[in-house]
Amino acid sequence: MVAALKRPGWWRGLLGAVAFGAFGFGLVIALRAISDLPIYQTEQTGYPHIVVPAVLAPLGFLAGFGCFDYWLRWAVGAPTIPEDHSQHGATSWKDYFRFNTDHKVIGIQYVVTTFFFFFVGGLLAMLIRAELAQPGAQIVEASTFNGLFSTHAVLMIFVFVIPVFAGLANYVLPLMIGAPDMAFPRLNALSFWMLPLAGILFIASYLAPGGAFDAGWTGYAPLSTGAPLGQSFFNLGVQFAGASSIATALNFLVTIITMRAPGMTFWRMPLLVWANLSTSLLVVAATPFIAGVQFMVLFDRALHTNFFDAAAGGDVVSYQHIFWFYSHPAVYIMMLPGFGIISEVISTHARKPIFGYRLMALALIGIVVLSYSVWAHHMFVAGMFSWLRVPMMITTLLIAVPTGIKIFSWLGTLYFGKIHTYSTAMLFALAFIVTFTIGGISGVMLGMVPIDIHVSDTYFIVAHIHFVLFGGSVFTIFAGVYHWFPKMTGRMYDEKLGRVHFWGTLVGTWGTFVPMHWVGMDGMPRRVADYAEQFGNWNLLISVFAFMLGAAQLVFLYNMIVSWRFGPKAEGNPWRANSIEWQVSSPPPIFNFDEIPRVVGGPYEFGVPGAKHAIMPGEGAEVPAGEKSVVGST
Amino acid sequence: MESATVAAGHGHADHHGPPEAHESSRMDRQTLGILLFIVSEVMLFGAFFASYFFLRVVVDPPSWPPEPYELPVAVAGINTAILVSSSFTIHYALESVRRGNHAGLKLGLVATWLLGATFLFIQVNEYAHIGFSARDLGFGSIFYSLTGLHGAHVFVGLMLLTFATIRAFRGHFGPAAKDHLGVEVPGIYWHFVDIMWIIVYVTVYIL
Amino acid sequence: MPAAPMYGRLPIVKMLLVTVALTAVISAVMVPINWDGQQASTAAPKIDHLLNVMIVLSAFVFSLVMVMLFYALWKFKAKPGDESDGEPIHGNTRLEIAWTLIPTVIVLFAGGYSWKVLDDIEEPVPEGQQLTVAVFSQQFAWSFAYPGKNYAWSEGELHVPVDRQVHFKMHALDVIHSFWVPEWRIKKDNVPGITTTAIVTPDRVGTYQLVCTELCGFGHSTMRAKVVVEPRDEFEEWVEGLDQEAPEALMEAVELDSATNPPALGAGGA
Ligand code: HEA
Ligand code: HEA
Ligand code: CUA
Ligand SMILES: [Cu+2]
Repeated sequence: MVAALKRPGWWRGLLGAVAFGAFGFGLVIALRAISDLPIYQTEQTGYPHIVVPAVLAPLGFLAGFGCFDYWLRWAVGAPTIPEDHSQHGATSWKDYFRFNTDHKVIGIQYVVTTFFFFFVGGLLAMLIRAELAQPGAQIVEASTFNGLFSTHAVLMIFVFVIPVFAGLANYVLPLMIGAPDMAFPRLNALSFWMLPLAGILFIASYLAPGGAFDAGWTGYAPLSTGAPLGQSFFNLGVQFAGASSIATALNFLVTIITMRAPGMTFWRMPLLVWANLSTSLLVVAATPFIAGVQFMVLFDRALHTNFFDAAAGGDVVSYQHIFWFYSHPAVYIMMLPGFGIISEVISTHARKPIFGYRLMALALIGIVVLSYSVWAHHMFVAGMFSWLRVPMMITTLLIAVPTGIKIFSWLGTLYFGKIHTYSTAMLFALAFIVTFTIGGISGVMLGMVPIDIHVSDTYFIVAHIHFVLFGGSVFTIFAGVYHWFPKMTGRMYDEKLGRVHFWGTLVGTWGTFVPMHWVGMDGMPRRVADYAEQFGNWNLLISVFAFMLGAAQLVFLYNMIVSWRFGPKAEGNPWRANSIEWQVSSPPPIFNFDEIPRVVGGPYEFGVPGAKHAIMPGEGAEVPAGEKSVVGST
Repeated sequence: MESATVAAGHGHADHHGPPEAHESSRMDRQTLGILLFIVSEVMLFGAFFASYFFLRVVVDPPSWPPEPYELPVAVAGINTAILVSSSFTIHYALESVRRGNHAGLKLGLVATWLLGATFLFIQVNEYAHIGFSARDLGFGSIFYSLTGLHGAHVFVGLMLLTFATIRAFRGHFGPAAKDHLGVEVPGIYWHFVDIMWIIVYVTVYIL
Repeated sequence: MPAAPMYGRLPIVKMLLVTVALTAVISAVMVPINWDGQQASTAAPKIDHLLNVMIVLSAFVFSLVMVMLFYALWKFKAKPGDESDGEPIHGNTRLEIAWTLIPTVIVLFAGGYSWKVLDDIEEPVPEGQQLTVAVFSQQFAWSFAYPGKNYAWSEGELHVPVDRQVHFKMHALDVIHSFWVPEWRIKKDNVPGITTTAIVTPDRVGTYQLVCTELCGFGHSTMRAKVVVEPRDEFEEWVEGLDQEAPEALMEAVELDSATNPPALGAGGA
């Protein structure tokens, strides 16, 4: 037992959490005692004796779990543990439950964890739909309802979509660029372990007096600055999720820039790598803004500062400016990695080079640049500077152009190809093109100020959100999970169940979210627990489709679990793809490669006689190195 | 392919480590990493500067700093000088280790550490006597959060310097570029902290 | 690079024709539908028209994508057991330029047109001809103060004359709320600490509902008010009938709001 407490791991992690938490609690009590304040401050925005431990306990867990051991020894110049790779790789399922520095293990840890949160968030969505199936109160009262959609959205965004992409990229990106691992393996592990903590904080808010945070995922001040304790859990959870994704983004950028295999020039990188490069640029520069603004809210709540208190010289609208300066880029953080996945899947299953490779990469960069200049399109009716509306409208609409380039280039890729639709991944990729186009177009409508004035904060927005996030991001996530499932697990999934899941999800998505446009334009506001009679039938229909959508996800769950356990063994390259991760075994060797492969051409040279992307170790050097790539030349 | 498959099947861990990664950039990972980290740090300050802009320019209170508060511009000025000079001492430390002068390295690090600590001390002292709190108007809130955020960065910087100093006294670090990253990286961060202070000082105290 | 001629092999003209036809069908179905519901202000028809224009443009974009996708799926689907690769085409500059420029033109047009409509619906009438109403929102109720007859005060019920431009000067007393009358198509947040303005010219007599569209707490979904648009004389009668006055605390704000408004309701106006 004592030994267990000395060793990094769950026991020591638990101990650390308890110790740090207790310390924080004691600290607050002590400080309040000596400054003879009432020991427990339980005005709803306060609770320092809970908030402070809620900050420290997670840190204590990380420390105890072993995230900092190496660094601490290094910092004080003590002899660091000689790198025996004991923290690297997985030989049994247990290795997935410890501090592990192998990017492949971390990738799987990410995907599994985030999907857990997806199902929790989805369950909450089911409750939302149950409540909204009919006018009047069904299962919960209004205050609880606000908590439902707030937590639903926060779980889906901060601990599902954003990190699941980080997880998939974690697994495949180093392999794709021919790197043995990420640039900072320990930092990588730390970023992962911060994630469940964020999720737990979000969910734990249900235990807080006053219930879960219920100011929406946008947490607008001053509603959030006056909200019950649960809101503080949101403020803190966002910090952990944010720190996690910033650290991962740094890791990706450094890995991509400094660890590409010989011959892997920027113009020879698979588009998934380009996509994560762009995404990481967004994360590194935008995420600090939400960290900052949530700190301000926390200060306003706990320390009674006046950032958003108009009565005391604060400014209410400033919250929205700072929030959206992150949260608009965030929506592309939730889309660009998906674009990368779609490029891989489509070109592989159409057996054809990506159409206009260079323009595809440049379009990504274009979206990155533009998305810093459009945040105020979320504030057209918010009473901000009215002169800002038209410029922001123009930039907003212009984003349709680079995005359109990607849509059309994917379509162009299909032409004169040999399209295979046996893989569920390809089905999701093709469906994504259509569904996302709808979501994008409704976005463009929202970008037009006069239309937005009418439909802002109605169900039209909810429809847009889900067409882009579910029909967009989540479809690409499914495509990615199916596509790399053989690589990650070494087994094939069941295509029949895959198709059931696909059709269920496609029909479910359209059936659920298309009618939302209509009720929205017709006058149904969002974030309401109750609504006018006239919308009753539509909402019933929506709920029915939503439940079907949910049921379809259960098929997916079953397929993944059973196939992982019992699926037929997968060979190295079941899809006959070119990129490097497919040239190694499934699952890949523990250190990815015996020696780093040599890249001699573009990643999508299907049908080009004699073309080759990479020369793997062991293969004869029959292909001269540095052979000119024809990628992008048009 | 074959070789790869052979290496598959886990457990070979102890037999061989990973292959050396190919270095596709002249810059080393640590330096690039800290520079990118600084980018996001700048944006974190950016969030608070944005708030400063709203509270001062958009809300536009009758006077700034609002009556009767005033800021100890002079004291803070001296403090600025102290922090800026610490940039030179850390630079000296780096130069020394490059030239293999270990004594100079230690001297430089210790001097920097002391200057940084003095800065923090004076700042805390300033808080104690400044006469308004973070609860006094938007002004108080943004003043304390900007200077406090920077103070926190000085603190982190001091941590890193402490580590570097301990290791220096334990005889670590050498002239070769790879052998004194442990000084160079904290150094870059420290320079950032200094420059950030100059911006904070000019915005909050002088403008 | 043999790319260009290959795309020449496609029945581009036919595909475009189908696209146009599909666009026509979708538009023919969608444009006649009155998506936004009843129109009760001068802004409504303009916004709805803009929406219809956008529907046609979107229909075109969507049809284009669908036609391109399904033609490819129909024409280039691999035969069972065909392991071969597609033709090594890496791009086609002409096409790439086309699908960069066409969307640019479309969105710039959409933007310019939206700008015009925006200026249009926010065009104020000459000083003093409008009617100014001060709006006060709080969890979870609406109140309104009218100029003249030292600021008559109405709670939960808003009356305005038909065919006269109304300037709503809005104040939030606790958290953010949002002022929305769907039939007017106008929405504006009420923000603590600042006064926001919404300009509406109701042009249809009737009773409507004022909806709060910014999440403001557990009562958000019930924060509604009755809106009555009526002929001018009835409206003035109604105001005369109000016996409450705006609360002292808010009087200052109300006076400021109504500064540009003739004290007597009669003056100015249509
Ligand atoms: C993955 C996430 C994602 C993505 C990719 C997008 C993409 C876009 N979004 Fe969306 N958006 C959200 C997630 C996303 N959004 C969320 C979550 C909210 C709600 C936040 C809240 O809770 O309030 C929101 C809200 C939101 C608003 C605020 C509405 C309001 O609250 O009043 C606006 C307004 O401009 C907007 C616009 C756009 C635009 C113009 C795009 C563009 O990027 C779309 C570009 C794509 C296309 C246009 C389709 C493909 C292009 C072609 C086929 C070329 C030809 C097309 C044309 C010429 C039109 N979005
Ligand atoms: C990636 C992000 C994401 C995803 C995937 C989803 C998925 C879903 N969302 Fe959500 N949603 C948001 C992001 C997302 N949403 C955001 C940002 C908001 C705005 C919040 C705000 O206003 O602040 C929102 C708001 C929102 C609302 C509006 C609430 C309101 O304004 O009042 C609704 C209402 O129907 C809704 C429904 C759904 C449904 C039915 C799904 C479905 O697709 C879910 C399907 C998945 C499952 C169901 C899980 C799997 C199944 C099980 C766990 C088993 C149980 C199944 C059954 C009982 C059948 N969402
Ligand atoms: Cu007031 Cu919602
Ligand atoms: Cu946006």
